[in-house]
Amino acid sequence: MRLRYSLQTAINGLRDHKSRSLLTILGIVIGITSIIAVMSLGQGAQDLILGEISGLGGNTVVIRPGREPEGPTDIASTIFGDSLKARDLVQLQRKSNVPALTDLMPIVIVSGSASYRGETYQPDIIGGSAEFFANSFDIFPEEGVLFTESEIRARATVAVIGAKVKKELFGESSAVGESIAIKDKKFKVVGVLPDKGQVAFLNFNNMIILPYTTAQSYLVGTNYYNEIIVKLESTDAVARSVTDIEETLRQSHNISDPSKDDFYVVTQQGLVDQIKTIINVLTVFLSSVVAIALVVGGVGVMNIMLVSVTERTREIGLRKALGASTSDILTQFLLEAILLTLIGGVIGIILGASISYAAALVLSNVFLLNWSFTFPIGAAILGVAVSIIVGLIFGIYPARQASRKSPIEALRYE
Amino acid sequence: MALLEAQNLEKNYADGTRALRGASFSIEKGEFVAIIGPSGSGKSTLLHILGFLDHESSGVYRYDGKRADDFEDKEIAVVRNEKFGFIFQAFNLLGKMSVYENVRLPLLYSGTPEAEWDEKIRKAIRSVGLEERTDHDAAKLSGGEKQRVAIARALVNNPQVIFADEPTGNLDSASGGAVMKIIAGLHEAGHTIILITHETYTAEYADRIIKIKDGLVESDEKVLHKNTARDNFQK
Repeated sequence: MRLRYSLQTAINGLRDHKSRSLLTILGIVIGITSIIAVMSLGQGAQDLILGEISGLGGNTVVIRPGREPEGPTDIASTIFGDSLKARDLVQLQRKSNVPALTDLMPIVIVSGSASYRGETYQPDIIGGSAEFFANSFDIFPEEGVLFTESEIRARATVAVIGAKVKKELFGESSAVGESIAIKDKKFKVVGVLPDKGQVAFLNFNNMIILPYTTAQSYLVGTNYYNEIIVKLESTDAVARSVTDIEETLRQSHNISDPSKDDFYVVTQQGLVDQIKTIINVLTVFLSSVVAIALVVGGVGVMNIMLVSVTERTREIGLRKALGASTSDILTQFLLEAILLTLIGGVIGIILGASISYAAALVLSNVFLLNWSFTFPIGAAILGVAVSIIVGLIFGIYPARQASRKSPIEALRYE
Repeated sequence: MALLEAQNLEKNYADGTRALRGASFSIEKGEFVAIIGPSGSGKSTLLHILGFLDHESSGVYRYDGKRADDFEDKEIAVVRNEKFGFIFQAFNLLGKMSVYENVRLPLLYSGTPEAEWDEKIRKAIRSVGLEERTDHDAAKLSGGEKQRVAIARALVNNPQVIFADEPTGNLDSASGGAVMKIIAGLHEAGHTIILITHETYTAEYADRIIKIKDGLVESDEKVLHKNTARDNFQK
């Protein structure tokens, strides 16, 4: 039988049972919609994060405590790692150790809230160097000044606050010169950053920057850093400098075997690769979960196709009596199943893309993220392929049942 | 060489019924043979085996000199499509399709070039006098018209043999008469006709009557007073 007529027969078969066909494809629609949405949002998240990373500049590397994460225990060792200390800063800053290093900044993460005259707010509190942040991310105070290196050395209780923190704690009144309390310790606000939103991972609006020495001494009570950000002369110097940094820190930590390193260096490329891996793993994981919906949808298709085969037993017998071969009948019912799942797939792609488009609108307009909608062409092709495969897998059994019917038994069927 | 040849055909069903117990006969090309017998005599089973719709349990059936067992599945489909035409008591039309589409069905499975389809379909519909009904839904036709559509469908591939299983069984006498006249006309046009009926009068349109009783051929005789396409049909 010519494919055109097989297709027409299949379309007629579905059209004769419109509501049943629509309900049957619902499972496929849900499955494909979810896959497309997950993949599209995953792509959006990846683009956003990678865009933020590139904001750091290719000549920036980050040193973290612990081992390079390959599993959950490594991630824990990074979070709780205490290997990066003041002596490392001294060693790294020696020109003979890391010749290409131009600047560095240790980071101390503080958890807690800030308050001012009864107003309390939960900002991101980071101990670091205000000048380093300002130079690296081109964000300078719109009011007041940055705290200085000498204030860092002196463990001064000073803070530079983001625009949102200022608004939450001070409203419209001036913040510079006022004191805010963090963990019962008073900090004098010396500068207020402009409203700049998200810059390279960091939401400066929501941030309080303190001298890292002050954060260590008065807030977290530790003598180590959560990470050290290092700026190098140029991107070309990254590869050589990573080796220099590793050798310097091994010497500083008395490590002779590189496999026992208690730190690791993340380059921008390394970070990009890591994040891509994490997002890909997450996308694959979520897609696998969503694939269950597709299997359920496929079982629904198989069920309805079996009903259809039973209902049309006489028709199958007649077609065979009129000259349809086993493969003609098989093709007819298989095409019907594939058509069902394919329609579901196409609707799913349109719905999935619409959902991720709407999500992109909300994320960029309401949450002010630099989120762009990407239509995942790869995912759409995958969606079409998956729906055809689901139709094939779950349609083959009913189609074989149909094609194996003896014409005379089928014609006798009441 | 006989066109259809049955030797000791037996058919046993899974429930133990012995529908045929050794039927033997042969049919030449161009013959009009009526197979008659009471209900349950095995005549329909015989037609199904002769029409390649069912398999014999034992014995030998030859079509055009070749044993039925030697036909492969695909060849059987081709024979059913191009060499045989079927007319059923229950018409077996696809109700949601038009007359045109029902008559087209055998062509969908044939090797006939698509460019020739329309002419063949219209010619078949014209030959049963339903050209006015070409685009009507099959489900909306009267019983007699439905059977005429079934005849047009059986004819469309110009088959060598037409098997008619109780073609007037569901029709009133006027419609039955019209249908039998068309079938007699097909014989006159050169088709071999195998007609299953339990009505002696209908059987007398044939040249030869094979009586089946209890799965065996009871008699096989030429018809002396043959009805013709011109006779009036009366039940």
